[in-house]
This record gives sequence, C-alpha cells and structure tokens, in this order.
Amino acid sequence: MAAQIASTRSLSVGAGSAGIVATALLLLGLGAMIFAPRVVGEYGTEIGFRALIYLTLAEAWNLLAGYGGLVSLGSSSFVGIGAYILMGMLNAGGFGIVTALTASGLGAAALAIMVSPAVFRLRGLYFTVGTLALGEALRLFMINVSYFGGATGIFLKSNPPPTEVLYVYAVALAGIATLVMEIYTGTRFSILLRSVRDDEDAASQVGVRAFRVKLLAFAVASLLMGAAGGLQALKLGAIEPYGMFGLQWSIDTLSIVIIGGLGVRFGPIVGTIFVIALAEALADYPELHLAMTGVILILVIRFAPKGLCGLGQDVCRLLIGRWDRPGMPRAGGALP
Amino acid sequence: MPSVELIASSLASGFLLGGILALTALGLSLVLGVMRLVNLAHGEFLIAGAYAGLFLVKYTGIDPLLGLLVIGGVIGLLALPMHQFLLMPLAGKGPEAPMMTTFGVSIILQNAFVLAFSADTRAIERDYANVALTLGPVTVAQIYVIGFAISASVVGAVHILIAYTAFGRDLRASAADADAAATIGVNVRRVHALTFALGAGCAALGGTLIGIAFAFTPVSGATYLLTDFAIVVLGGLGNILGTLIGGITLGVLQSIGGVVLGDGYRDLVGLALFLVVLAFRPQGLLAASRS
Amino acid sequence: MNCQRPTAVKWHRAKCPRRRVAIGARAGSALVALVLYSAAACAADDIVVGASIPLSGPLAGFGSFQQWGYKRAVDEVNKAGGIAIDGKKLNVRLILRDDKTDPNVTASNTETLISRDHVTAILGSCTPVLVNAGALVAERHRIPLVTACDPLEAFKSVRKWSYAWDLFFHEPDLAAAPFRMLEAFKVQTNKRVAILHDNGPDGQVVGGQVWPEIAKSTGYEVVQNSSFPVDNTQFTSLIAEAKSKNADIALVDAITPQAVALRKQMASANFTPKVLVIEKGGEPVQFAQALGKLSDGVLVGGYWDPSFPYPGAADLAKAFEKETGQTSSQHIADSYAAAQVLLDAIAVAGSTDAQKINEAIAKTDKTYVVGPIKFDENHTSKLPIVEDQWRSGNTAVVWPSERATGKFLFPLP
Repeated sequence: MAAQIASTRSLSVGAGSAGIVATALLLLGLGAMIFAPRVVGEYGTEIGFRALIYLTLAEAWNLLAGYGGLVSLGSSSFVGIGAYILMGMLNAGGFGIVTALTASGLGAAALAIMVSPAVFRLRGLYFTVGTLALGEALRLFMINVSYFGGATGIFLKSNPPPTEVLYVYAVALAGIATLVMEIYTGTRFSILLRSVRDDEDAASQVGVRAFRVKLLAFAVASLLMGAAGGLQALKLGAIEPYGMFGLQWSIDTLSIVIIGGLGVRFGPIVGTIFVIALAEALADYPELHLAMTGVILILVIRFAPKGLCGLGQDVCRLLIGRWDRPGMPRAGGALP
Repeated sequence: MPSVELIASSLASGFLLGGILALTALGLSLVLGVMRLVNLAHGEFLIAGAYAGLFLVKYTGIDPLLGLLVIGGVIGLLALPMHQFLLMPLAGKGPEAPMMTTFGVSIILQNAFVLAFSADTRAIERDYANVALTLGPVTVAQIYVIGFAISASVVGAVHILIAYTAFGRDLRASAADADAAATIGVNVRRVHALTFALGAGCAALGGTLIGIAFAFTPVSGATYLLTDFAIVVLGGLGNILGTLIGGITLGVLQSIGGVVLGDGYRDLVGLALFLVVLAFRPQGLLAASRS
Repeated sequence: MNCQRPTAVKWHRAKCPRRRVAIGARAGSALVALVLYSAAACAADDIVVGASIPLSGPLAGFGSFQQWGYKRAVDEVNKAGGIAIDGKKLNVRLILRDDKTDPNVTASNTETLISRDHVTAILGSCTPVLVNAGALVAERHRIPLVTACDPLEAFKSVRKWSYAWDLFFHEPDLAAAPFRMLEAFKVQTNKRVAILHDNGPDGQVVGGQVWPEIAKSTGYEVVQNSSFPVDNTQFTSLIAEAKSKNADIALVDAITPQAVALRKQMASANFTPKVLVIEKGGEPVQFAQALGKLSDGVLVGGYWDPSFPYPGAADLAKAFEKETGQTSSQHIADSYAAAQVLLDAIAVAGSTDAQKINEAIAKTDKTYVVGPIKFDENHTSKLPIVEDQWRSGNTAVVWPSERATGKFLFPLP
C-alpha cells in the first residue's frame, strides 16, 4: 500500500505552486498560533483549542465527504474510539501523551478498516444511513458493556496537562491535518478519489481500484478524527458514551463543513471560524443558537451550495468580474 | 431459563409492537422509495403527531384514536410548505442537499418543541392503554393489540391507495423513473409534494400511537428514526406491505434479543440487524420493490 | 501579487486562495481583537459568580430550577447591599450559561467563565456527568465550585476533590429509606424484591449495589436485579420477569422518560406490586402529569419539602410558585442553598482570593433551607432523606413520621 501511494506522489495536473503557497501560509499561521497564548490569554487559548479540534475534524470530514463523496454521519464513532483508547492507555500507565494520541488515531483507523468491507458496499444515502447506524450502535454497545465503564464512563487517573500544553498538541494535530490535505490535493490521489466520487463504476472500469481509494481516504480521515477525540478526552479528564459517542460530534462536524463549503479547500477553516464565533456570540441565548444553526444550515444548502467559501468566491469573482469573460469555462469551485 | 409464559408473551408483544413500529416507518419508506429522500426529520414528524394527539385530548376531550385522521391530516398539511419551500428548490442537486436540509429542519423542530412545549416527558393517558389481555400463556398489553390493528389497517389502506388508484399509479411511475413519468404527463412535483405529506401524516399517526402506549420528549424522535430505517431496509424501500413485514420481523427479533440478552440490548440487536442487512442486501429482504 | 490576466483554470488558484487566506486572516484577527476587548472590558467592580447549567436538552427541567435557585440567592444578597470585599461592599453578578446537557459544553462553558469572565467561583451543573465535567475544569484552575444535584457517592468516586464541594443526598441513605419505611410501618409483603435500574452512575450505585445489600441485610429476598441503558424504551422482558417472580416490592431507578414508560408498561402487563418505588425519575411533577392516575401510590425519596422545619422553607416554595406559576420542586432548595453557601463563604473570606474562599467553604457550619450544612473531609454534606408518595398529582411526605404530611397508601392502588 505504501509503495503504491509513494508512486502516485507526483505533482501533476491541478497542483500548482499557489496551492503550496496557501498551505505554507496556513502552516506558518498555525505555527504562529503556538505563541498566541501569550497574546490572547487563557480564554483565547481555550477557544483556540476548541477551534483546532473542530478544524481537524472538519478537514478530515471534508476529505471524506467533500472530496470523496462519502457523506458520513458516523464521525462520532471515531471520535469516541480515540477518546476511550487514550483514556485506557493513560490510565494503564507507562505511555506518553504522544504515544497515546497516536494510538487513538491508529485505533480509529483500524475501526475504519474493519468496517469498510461492509460499509463500502453501501452507496450514496445508504452509506450515510449506515454510518449513522454504526455510530449509534457503538454508543449503545459502550453504554451496555460495563468493562468500558458503561454509562458512568472512565476518569483520567492523573491530572491532564495545562491548557497551554494541550493547545500546542491541538496546533500540531491541526497542522498534520493541513499537511494531509496538502499531500492529498497535491498528488494523483486527489484525481483518483474524485473519479470514484463522481462515478465509481466508470472509474473501476478504467482501472481505478475504487475500494482501496475509498479505504485510504476513510482510514486517514478516521485517524485524524480519532486523534482529535483522544485530545478532547485528555482535555475533559472524564468521558462517557453520551458525551464522546454522541451524535453531536457528527452533527457539528457536518455543519461546519457544509457552512464553510463542502469539497472546498478552505471550507473547514471558514466553517470553523464562523461556527465557533457564532457559538460564542450566542452562548447566552441557547435556544436561539441551536435554532440558528439549523436555519443557517438550510439557508446555506439552499442558496450557497459551496458554503461561505463559495459565497466568498462569488464575491471574489464579482470583484474581478471583468476578467471573467463570457464563454470562458468557469472552473466551478470543486477543484482543490 | 425463562418460563414459557415469558417467552410466549415476549414474542407476541414483539410481534404486535413490530406492527406498530411499522406504522411509524411507513412514511419514511414512502418518501425514500418515491422521492429518494432521506428524511432525517422523520422522527420529529412522529413526535409532532404525539403532541397533536396529546393536545387533542387535552383541549377537546376527543380520543386521539378517534381523531387519528384529523391528526394525520393536520401534520400532513403542515408538511406541505416544508416540502414546497425547502425541498423542492433542491430538486436537481443530488441526494445530499435535501438530506442535510431535513437535518437542519430536525434540529429546528426539536428546539421548537422544547420552546413551545417544554422538555418535560409527556404521555397520552388513556384508560385502555393500561390494560393487559391474557390468552392462555400469553399476556400482552391491550394497547399493542389496538395499535397493531390500526397499523395494519393504515398500511393496508395506503397499499390500496398506491396499488389501485390513479394517484397511486402516478406515484409508482414517479418512483420508477421520474423523468419518464414527467414525459407522459404525470405532475411529478405534485406527486412528490403529496407523497411527502402522506409520509408525514403516517408518521404522525405512528407518533400518536407511541404517545398513547409509551412516553415521549421533544428529543425522542431520533431513537425511532434509526429503528425506522432498519424497518425500511428490512422491508425494502417503498414496499408498503414489506414495511409491515419488516416491522414485525424487527419486533420479534428485538424481543428475542431482549429475552436472551436483556432489555438493554434490544436497540442494539435492531441496529446490528440493520447493519447486517444493509451490508448484504441493502435493497431489503423482500427485494421486489413494488411500491 | 498582482492580479494578472488569468485563464479560467489558473485564476481562482492564483488569486483567490491567497486573497481568501488574507481576508480570512484579517477577519480572524479582528475577531480575536473583539474577544480580547470584550474580555478586558468586563467590569472589575463586581463579584462574578458563574454557572453552567442544562437549560436545554433532556435535563432542561432541572436547569430551570437551578436557574431560579441560584438567581434568587444572588438577588437576595444584592438586595441586602452586596458582599464586603476588603471593606468595600460589592454587588454579585451571576453569569449563567447553557450546557445543553452535554458534558463537553459544560467543560468549555466553565473554561470560558474562568478565563473570559474571570469568575471568582462557580456553581455546579446537575447530574454526575455534567457536574464532573465542570468540576474537573474548576479543580484544574483552582477555582472553588459549590454544587448540589450530584449524589455524594458518584461525586466522591471521581477523585479526591480540593476545590469542589457537594451538598446532596447520600445514595445509601436514599436506597435504605424504603426499607426503613417498610419496617416502620410493619406492612405485610412477601418480602420479594425486584430491582430495575438504569446503568447510569447513580443507577448502578443505588440499584446495583446498595439496594441488594440493604435488602439482604434486612431480610428481604432479591428475586431480580436487572439493569437497562439510560435511554431504553422497552421494558417488556424486565417486567415480565418481575411478574413471573411474583415480587411484591419493585424498586426502580431511572430518569423520567423511562420512569413514565416503565410505569405504563407495568400497568399494561398487569404487574402491580404492592410497593413501587421509582427513584430519580419519579420525583418531578411531569411524572405525575404524564401518568395521571397511574402515578398514585408511587414512592420516591426526597431530600426537601416546603414543610421542613428549616429557615425559609415554606416561603421559598411559595415564592417560586408565585413567580413562575409552576409547581415547586425540591431542586429549587438545594440550588438556592448551594448558592447561599458559596456567597456566605465569600463574605466570610472577605476577599475574592480563591484559596481564602475555599477555606471559608470548608468551615461552613450553618443551617440553610435544606438543613444543616457542614462539609466532611470528602467535601460532601449529606441532606436528610424522606420518603414521598404521589397522590392525585401531589406528593406528601409519608416517612419518617416526624416529617409526615400524609398517610402512607398501601398497597399500590
């Protein structure tokens, strides 16, 4: 598998230097954010942590659903598995945080690989419903089986590291997610995945190994989600099935990416910033906030299918409108 | 080793309960089969029906079972504008957009229920719901029998509607091939709107039964949504009678799971079954999808 | 970076990504600046107390009672002039945030309260899961947190707390109450007990451990002990088993939606034990409203009633019913008391220093509306338990006899 991936690693059609510049800027921005705690204080750090976790989840889901066409409502399965693995390892003792986080990610990826033969038989909306059922089934399982703490959950025996340290981990994780997306968009894999998304049968006929392509995307996305879940668990110090396997993880991730722009490179970032800002602004008006999320989701789907990023693109296009000559094929927005 | 009475009663209850659940799933099957729409707000339609039944008896004293047609009609009518303004404009944009929209509606509806009716647990209190019927070793709740009868009648009625009326013909045509149907003069848009309303109405009926037999809160819809998906997949998308059979099958299997593993595992058994069927036979166990 | 004349393929990549990043960065930094500004602008001359409570989601009912209790305590203190800090009388400002019954949100709310709103102390959420989430954050930041609405064993089982304090009932007391009551009233039963409990933290303690132990030690026979998930909807197998084992006494521990469903299914399965106790879920008034006649005779442990001989008890209930038009609940009392305990401690400490306030809480020894409050070495304070019974949509205290306000109905109607 690794050799296959390495051989497709050629900067070919669609990459371009601008993509690398953008990613470099992003990574630089993330790097700068490591020093942010000193500037923005504790509150900003906490918001930053939350935003980075969501960003990681959103990037992963965007890869899966936006670029891969695999609209999954089962993100909570991987977040939850990552959380429990980290707790288990840290409680067992003798493992460092980085090891535990890596294990969280790998565990989630293993789950993805395990369910993939079943789950990939499903296409389109069956896949979506199937992942929803998977998430719920896992939650019910964790509630019933007392070995994992049942409904009470597990507590972290030691003290979690301070927020600043957690924040740095979050920056690192988000950075990895960004790198992953860059590697993805800069290689032939992006074309393979897109071909599978657009028409799986046709792609198979021209020799694309659809199953493996989907599996790679699924495993990578799940790995990121698992690591994010582990980090969240580290932050909380106490986890249980309703909080870590709950549907809100799938919902929030989906909302962020759709609002930001599904299948758009900067969708996750824009979505995360918007959703977190909205949540903070409306934190004191909870019913309003929840209803607004639903309304915004509906409005975005109806009027801005490419999300806020797409809207931004339209604005961009308006601003440089005169260069967009009629008759010129417009490169939609689906390209990375 | 559980007694004969226990097993017999559990199986009978599962059978009847499955029939009731089939009614809750009927709307989903219709909408999925005809419009290829995954209605993630389906659970909230159920709960809307339950609230409607609750307030019907509270403010008019009319028994919800007598007022079922009214309840179904009201909720169905309320669903029409939702389809008109939110779903129809998304007609050509692939299956995800409408699904996400119904998702957004689900969030809004849940919160609307909390705001309007508070998060309190509710139940429609009726005397006939608290009686047990005993026949030999089998004891079941009377409301299960009543509910099963109602459910089977509604399923039968809808089946007749779809198999033997003009509307049903249009509906089947739209489900088989919407474009072809349009070319032969079927008003596909109207069919979809009416199907959506019918689906919502059926869901409301199922919800009322749930409200009488059990309890509900603004957020109970989600649990039923998953069970209903399982039933729909078991029975075959858009297969009306299949939904009834799928529901009964699920009910019986859940009962067996409950007796063998414990009641806590009922839902898990249902979900596991769902995943298995989805993996190996997603078109449903009763594959011939005659609407 | 000037806008060259791009071809259709290159333009959006050459121009917009960078531009978008730039725009995004500017917007992001503006947002950060706004946040910082609002943080700095928070008034420095109030004592700020924060709370994250479930105002939406399944536990919204509890949250509304907590909101009322917390607010009332703070308003009373402010009406009396506030609290003297270093000689100067300051007002108390209460900031409430909704945690939507999600522990992740409780944790982040608590963090925001501490880091952005600079709260001096925190009041807890409700139910072990949510309280834990907030308390762990407060512990980490060394901010004192006083909570009610968290059974003491569940509270203690998390860790040895330094900054979190809990006043509530002790699960063993609650579990023992029905048995002690039955002994006191000397009612005739076949002494066969069926236990049905959810597998939440307190369900497992009460139903899984304490009830079986106490039953055995008082000569009762546990014929069934079944657990179910907190959000279970079908109880047919459980009930059928209890019926077949001929249990005269049924002990249930579940939250309200499940409690209502369970009671209905018991009736429709023709299972009517002589004594039915429904802990937790049987307590709020919505239970009786949903069930109507079926709720009559159901026993539930309580830790407060307006009839208690503690200062302000009756008035509290009256004030609540007058202000909100709803039936009063015991949850107004423990949240009111928790807030009072905290505010008194701040007053005693005479400072907003976390350590001093924490020490003052430790020294609490006073009788509040819920009874005498004094924290032990585990930071817990027990509330006394009575046994309530529903009749016609109202509860009456039936045990112990010194507190009784109504006659014990036996058997279950």
